Amino acid sequence: MSVSTRRLQKELTDIQKQGTPVGIKLLNADDFQTWHLSLEVLGDTVYQGEVFALKFRFDSSYPISSPAVQFVVDDTWKAPVHPHVYSNGHICASILGNEWSPVLSVISVCVTLQSMLASCKKKELPPGNDRYVKNAPENPKKTRFEYHDDNV
Amino acid sequence: MYSEHHVPTVDDLRVKLCFICREEERYDNPEDPPRVWTHPCSCTLVAHESCLLQWIQAAQQDPSKAGNALKCPQCGTRYELESHNPFVLRLLDNVNKSISIVGKFVSVAGIVGIGVSFGFGVYVVCTAYGSYAVKVFLGKEMYDLLLTDDLSNWPWHAFVNLPFIPLSLILSRTRFFTSLPLIPLFLPWASTPPVASTQSMMAARWNPLVRKAPVYPSAPLFGWPPSPIVITIAYSILTSFYRRGYSTLKHWILGTPSNAQHTIREVIWDLGGHARIGVNINDGEHPANQDQQAAQGEQAPANGDAGQEQAGDNDPGVVAERTLRVTNASLGRFISGALMMPTIANCMGAILLRLSRHSRLLQRFLAVRPPMRGGVPPTLASWLEAQPWGEMSYMRQVATGLKVALDLVCGGTRTWEECDPVWWRNSIGLGIYIVAKDCIQLLHLYLAKRELETRRIKNRSFEGIDVKELDLIDRSLRS
Repeated sequence: MSVSTRRLQKELTDIQKQGTPVGIKLLNADDFQTWHLSLEVLGDTVYQGEVFALKFRFDSSYPISSPAVQFVVDDTWKAPVHPHVYSNGHICASILGNEWSPVLSVISVCVTLQSMLASCKKKELPPGNDRYVKNAPENPKKTRFEYHDDNV
Repeated sequence: MYSEHHVPTVDDLRVKLCFICREEERYDNPEDPPRVWTHPCSCTLVAHESCLLQWIQAAQQDPSKAGNALKCPQCGTRYELESHNPFVLRLLDNVNKSISIVGKFVSVAGIVGIGVSFGFGVYVVCTAYGSYAVKVFLGKEMYDLLLTDDLSNWPWHAFVNLPFIPLSLILSRTRFFTSLPLIPLFLPWASTPPVASTQSMMAARWNPLVRKAPVYPSAPLFGWPPSPIVITIAYSILTSFYRRGYSTLKHWILGTPSNAQHTIREVIWDLGGHARIGVNINDGEHPANQDQQAAQGEQAPANGDAGQEQAGDNDPGVVAERTLRVTNASLGRFISGALMMPTIANCMGAILLRLSRHSRLLQRFLAVRPPMRGGVPPTLASWLEAQPWGEMSYMRQVATGLKVALDLVCGGTRTWEECDPVWWRNSIGLGIYIVAKDCIQLLHLYLAKRELETRRIKNRSFEGIDVKELDLIDRSLRS
């Protein structure tokens, strides 16, 4: 069994044993390549009542390499309107790029994104959204974002 | 019980949980074979040393992550690495870095320069560079005979050949055209008669010596120093043997399989632009990696898609090579290196000339001659005029013409034989320079590889952490 599979197996066991934090639910984790989780921001925020789905993709060198994380955009799910989330679901967050560290996990990434949404005051799309969405690669990890905002 | 002064270390933990692979090990159920644990920082995170080294290595290869590679993600303490990192390696690393910085400036300056002078400038710039390269490489004397500073003297092909010189020098660095650098510097000039400047015309007309004794216009093919064409051919043959030998030696020293193709793996066009979003072409398919995955018996479907950068191969040799490549990958460095070649050749040639003053043998080898005396050597025209064409049959005329043309291309004009062969010592000098540079690069790779292999993370005690926070083995029960 590869390191990534073993590590994801442990994370899965932890989720099953200890449950997930409030507002985060595991939708499916059928294999060790793609997981889906749902994300809801509780309390008085601009996203009240909205539920989003996150897609995690892992490669064989996880957790050395970061997972590819994006919001699901399809018939059922929409990406949140947020200055760091493009309308195709790609997220500009430093912890998914240069701030990634193996100490992070699926759940801690969800929690960080949850608090990113919770702290948003005004729903607006990132600047240059249309241009990005038109040219964006399928996998968000292949985009090199510039993190200009430290409180992401 | 513990004495007051005993500071617990990672070995005193009851349960160790690696923050990277999340595997735990209980003190009463040690793993077999054991893996080294390390506590590298000032918080409670502990990890397998191998996991942490793997992470540091992966993070250091990614320029955007390199800053965080040696920092604890929780408490921010810098990890201390202990490895065999001799002064020479640090020196080479620094030299390498600063050359890369220079390279960046060159590429920025080059882009600005091309942009400013685009319309008509590129051609002029390339041609000017080409004539400079000829001057430097063939020597001032040859330059004055073949080209001169006066454009109106240039043979027609100079206007085609000269602008190609910088292009072919750059292409010659791409490994596909290894023999190119010398060709445009040599081939077209071998058969070029000396410029018919006023002076030489006058000399040819009025100098009775030249009029009387027309000399065969071509130099002998196998003289010493070798003629330009011989040098060009020998150079390409030698280069291909040398490249093969060098690559075998490199793989032997680094212990990497010689068939592995690393060249194409990291082609990242990072010209330092500040577009908000750049799309990084990341071709994640490389054979070594896939082999390894197959060996592990896991079939990743949709391969090449799920950004599998640097998965697998952590062989220090491969990593050292690739890490160097990344810092090397500066377009400006590449181009300026190529355009420096004639200048370097000239400097090396000058050094050889200076050395030859102390050695007869070297002087003979370099065939150093004093600058030409007695004016310009005879032109082809004067020899042709002196031939008894009328007495020859038609076939003989054609044969003589062909022979002269062939001899000129192969042996070069007499100018080549009679001038001080600056080009010869420059070629030798360039060769010495290339070999020396490769040796240094090889040393750098070897030292970098050894540094990776000998890396250890400095283990720290849990000093400063409240003992009650730690789940320690109760030594009193065991003893």
